[in-house]
Amino acid sequence: MTRFIGKYVGQNQKRIDAYEKVTGRALYATDVAVQTRDAVHMHALVSPYAHAKITKLDLSKAEKAPGVVGIITGEEPGIDWESFPKDAIMAQNNEVIWAGQIVALVAAETLEQAKDAIELIDIEYEVLPHVLYYWDTIKPDPVSVVDPMWGKRDVVTDRPMDEIDERVSPNVVGAYKLDTGNVDEAMKTADIIIEKEFYTGKKTASQMETPLCTCIYEPNGKIILSSNGMGVHGVVKMGLSKMLGIKENMLRVVSPHNGGSFGSRLAPIMEVLCIMMARKIKRTVIYRLTREQQFTTAPSNWPGISKIKMGAKKDGTIVALDWYVAEECGAAINNSYFTGRMCASGANMCYDFGEARIDSCAVTTNTVPAAEYRGLGVPESEFAIECVISEIADQLGIDQLDMRLKNLLRKGDKNCVGEAITSTGLEDCLKSVYQSVKVDEPSIQDGSVWKRGKGIASAGKQNTPLGRSEATVLWNSDATVTLLLSNDENGMGATTALKQIAAEVLKMPIENIEVIRADTDATPYDNYGASSRTTYTTGNAVRIAAMDCIQKLRDEVGRAIGVHPINVEIEGTKAIVHGYQVPEIEIDTLFKPINFFEQGNFGLMKGTPVRGHGVYCPAPVLQWGADGRCARQWNWYQYSACAAEVEVNEETGEVRVIKFASAADTGNPINPKLVEGQIEGGVHMAIGFSIMEDHFYDKNGMIANRNLGDYRIPTIMEMPKNENVASIICPDALPDGPFGAKGMAESITVPVAPAIAEAVYNAVGIRVDSYPMTAEKVLKLIKEKKEAAN
Amino acid sequence: MRFEKYCQPTTTSECVSLLKTYGSEARMVAGGTDLVPKLKSRAVRVKAVIGLEKIAEAKQIIINEKGLELGALVTLRTVSKSSEIKAKWPALSEAAGHVSSDQIRNIATIGGNVCNASPSADALQGLIVYDAIVNIVGENGTRKVPIVEFFVGPGKTVLEGGEFVISFTVPTPKENSGATYKKFALRGDTDISIVGVGSNIALDADGKVASAIISFAAVAPTPIRSTEAESLIMGKQLTDELIDEAAELIGNNCSPITDHRATKEYRVEMIKVWAKNALKDALARTK
Amino acid sequence: MAIVDKSYERVTVNLVVNGKDYTVDVAPFKTLQDVLREDLNLLGTKVGCEDGNCGVCTVLMDNLAVKSCCVLAPQAEGHKITTIEGLEKEDGLHPLQQSFIDYFALQCGYCTPGMILSAKALLMEKPDATEDDIREALHGNMCRCTGYKKIVEAIEAVRDGEYKDSCGEV
Repeated sequence: MTRFIGKYVGQNQKRIDAYEKVTGRALYATDVAVQTRDAVHMHALVSPYAHAKITKLDLSKAEKAPGVVGIITGEEPGIDWESFPKDAIMAQNNEVIWAGQIVALVAAETLEQAKDAIELIDIEYEVLPHVLYYWDTIKPDPVSVVDPMWGKRDVVTDRPMDEIDERVSPNVVGAYKLDTGNVDEAMKTADIIIEKEFYTGKKTASQMETPLCTCIYEPNGKIILSSNGMGVHGVVKMGLSKMLGIKENMLRVVSPHNGGSFGSRLAPIMEVLCIMMARKIKRTVIYRLTREQQFTTAPSNWPGISKIKMGAKKDGTIVALDWYVAEECGAAINNSYFTGRMCASGANMCYDFGEARIDSCAVTTNTVPAAEYRGLGVPESEFAIECVISEIADQLGIDQLDMRLKNLLRKGDKNCVGEAITSTGLEDCLKSVYQSVKVDEPSIQDGSVWKRGKGIASAGKQNTPLGRSEATVLWNSDATVTLLLSNDENGMGATTALKQIAAEVLKMPIENIEVIRADTDATPYDNYGASSRTTYTTGNAVRIAAMDCIQKLRDEVGRAIGVHPINVEIEGTKAIVHGYQVPEIEIDTLFKPINFFEQGNFGLMKGTPVRGHGVYCPAPVLQWGADGRCARQWNWYQYSACAAEVEVNEETGEVRVIKFASAADTGNPINPKLVEGQIEGGVHMAIGFSIMEDHFYDKNGMIANRNLGDYRIPTIMEMPKNENVASIICPDALPDGPFGAKGMAESITVPVAPAIAEAVYNAVGIRVDSYPMTAEKVLKLIKEKKEAAN
Repeated sequence: MRFEKYCQPTTTSECVSLLKTYGSEARMVAGGTDLVPKLKSRAVRVKAVIGLEKIAEAKQIIINEKGLELGALVTLRTVSKSSEIKAKWPALSEAAGHVSSDQIRNIATIGGNVCNASPSADALQGLIVYDAIVNIVGENGTRKVPIVEFFVGPGKTVLEGGEFVISFTVPTPKENSGATYKKFALRGDTDISIVGVGSNIALDADGKVASAIISFAAVAPTPIRSTEAESLIMGKQLTDELIDEAAELIGNNCSPITDHRATKEYRVEMIKVWAKNALKDALARTK
Repeated sequence: MAIVDKSYERVTVNLVVNGKDYTVDVAPFKTLQDVLREDLNLLGTKVGCEDGNCGVCTVLMDNLAVKSCCVLAPQAEGHKITTIEGLEKEDGLHPLQQSFIDYFALQCGYCTPGMILSAKALLMEKPDATEDDIREALHGNMCRCTGYKKIVEAIEAVRDGEYKDSCGEV
């Protein structure tokens, strides 16, 4: 399939929401809350201890405090807490299992009154030992067992989960293994073997808008819910029906403008608690997490810990991969989601390893429960793979690009899981970033303490086939179009791209199309915006809906004028008719006028649109065998390559990215400028977690750097200057994507850290074993190297 | 955040009397960039907040042959951009210019920075390197305190009940002297300093050190000077070797803490690196 | 709010916001951000954090960028306040607003009002601002979405006069 550039698809259509955002007219959840009248404000009391027993919880003074309307604790009767998203599970059985877990929720007439009442809660803790890191939790006898009930419950899950036959620790709560069968023999044929351990830090999405939910309580008990969460149908409405038994006709979920998600809003942590309070007190409730609570109480992202052994021939051909990788998923109870497989999928995308054996697991700790975040585990795991490949190349004296090209999976090749790669643009991505940063030319040194170096890395990211999307096209009787969608719009511009697809298929001027988005009483089902699925899944649904609408229009026009639909084509507002006295008809003239004498029961009627509907769901994945393999474990893969030039200060250890090129294979881009924006934003975010972002804990196990002053998200200064930033699109059309599009937003975050790591090696001769590559870590390695040399 | 009353005294004596009336139940506000977040988080709780915006002397900038009279309410923006202050007291302008971002500096004040008394504060280091005097108004009139003696602990100063800071007196720098302030943080000015080093070197006719100030941010409970290092280099040629020796001495004699911004080991390393840089820079500026 | 809370002493503050005069009678602990959003219905100034770090609350006070979450309402008296709502004119958008649209300099948009105002303050003070000047002026506005490149391009386009004829002065 060649690259498609149409009238709208493939063009840099301006964002449909830009006007309201630049004028301040766009209303976000935080603004909707200000406009909501007669609301109570709910505030959370969170645990300051990572692990403790609550020995006293006396609410009597708080209940009587001025303005207090309701209080909820983990003892609230009739609640199936274990079905809740992990970060919303309030302290159960008088035990808190992470610092930031909610102990009580207080709703009062004003926020200050809620905070005052919280101070009147008489609470005492008995501090218990906690585990914060992988190495403490993986012990056979850890000082804290996070979920003692694991394995003893009847767990209902719709995700395939592997059995854990032998747990090395009671905090191992998920497992996934893969074995192509002959790793040990293959490893024996290697000329070079590198065996290393890697780990990564823990991060928070830190969207600029903190989580907020408003539940308006209607007189008949129906709730109108407005939040900056995701997935009005798939996550919120269906989720809350399941968790709280709310009837589908008693809940309406709407989505105002959204101040960022990055996947982290996938769990309805705010909505479930807000609606619980609203239904309990029969009042409208506003519930917001403060910026601090966004760190302690909203989801984190899981570190990946790897022990990796890779063997290669001296010409660079990789022959074997033997890899242990663990996902540290925080204080999850009743885990049915994390198994290690997401991190393990880092081995699926890019390379032919020859033989592969992967042993992966998920472990719990007394830290903020993890949830989805841009990259879904592969930035953490591919870091290990890429760093080892870079080291093998260096040791063998092979150019970094050649090493990768030699082992790349090409279209039709099978990966270690047994899947055939359906589409990959990785080779072009690698070559273009290599050229852009001139990786083959060493950096120019300026003689100062800042030493420069370059590095390059590949990446892939899995797309999970996450359910269905639906779209409705209403072709109105005045030839305007209304597009009904329930996709998430977290800033990526998906809605604009979807509108472009509709305009392209309908051949309709894009100004004629308006979008109604994300109102569960008005717009059709969509799961959510995650795993870069929206362009692909909802895009296909829009295409189908538009095609359905066109088919219906052909029928209706044909019927109206007595021509068989086979001789009617629809182009925008016109019908092109063959075998008729008039070659072109403006379709709106065929709608019967609103006049009491002339309205009928059939056909095109003024005021009633022609309705096209589309449903799209990717093919299901297969359950894998005992060897962890099957022909379809993920839906498709998106790819990226990154080349970076860094400078490292030999005296302070600081790492600065001074130049980068990022190339993405996103399939055919629907809107290249929006894709560029995702590339630049994604790399910037990855620079953050590659060199600066991490959780640091106080002695109680609470995140000490729980604000944007101390949790170091990158500012404009951490981005290279514009002339040193290159975003390149290298599409390989996806056969099943709309106009060949895949989806994007994630793959570009994955190769940044290993590219930086290799660049640091070329700058100062040290190899990191982890990210964030903080100044302290890098300086320590620089000093160790100096001492070893002396 | 809640308090009962916002007061805007129009004279210094009115301010003193308000402070005496409310005691620890009132706090002064200048730019608000430190106090307001603390009030919001309830780390500080008061009945009254007192703003000095109606007191003209608090905003004055007077430069004469003796030096600079800098009102407590002069913004960090003004201190960092004033060409007269930059010309004679460049390290003060630089130190003020290292605080956070434009938005903060546009309302934050030099007096607020000093009275907030954070051990990591940058702007006040610019006063320390020039040996400034703090002018305090109280019920018994004005008293003066050398800047480095003003701080007694994290967030704590020598101010007694009924007292507030009205201005700073910054003497004209000596002949043949150069001063600098170096801030070190990972996200540049955005971050609170991991370490900060200020230095002022004056040379005699032979090019030897006639006087020295070496001061530090973020390595002790208060902003401090290293009197041992200052004595070490007095009367000597400030060679690279002497600078190295001074930096080692400083590093070995200080005891910073480990917190979520940096470990104490790293801070000690950075003190040595940045003490060297500051001394070299101050020396270069003596020309 | 008509119901009077007697536990504090209200303050009367005279403000000039986007060229209009207002007199507000509010609790003394309200910030400028609260007054703009809750009392004047100007919701374009956003709420991001409680500690003055993120910058989404940026407004202009006498053409200087400030974080409105740190300014107590009485301290705004006598100052000329400009919010994002004050930029659009009857006959069109402010040059920075149009350039942000044209250069795709926004995604979720939450930081955008503050970012545009910081850029306006910069270009008013330094009409020839370099890229380094832009970076220095904007590092107090945190953006999690865009990676900043297109924001810089949009500002440079205005600086270079691309919008002078269509949208007027900065």
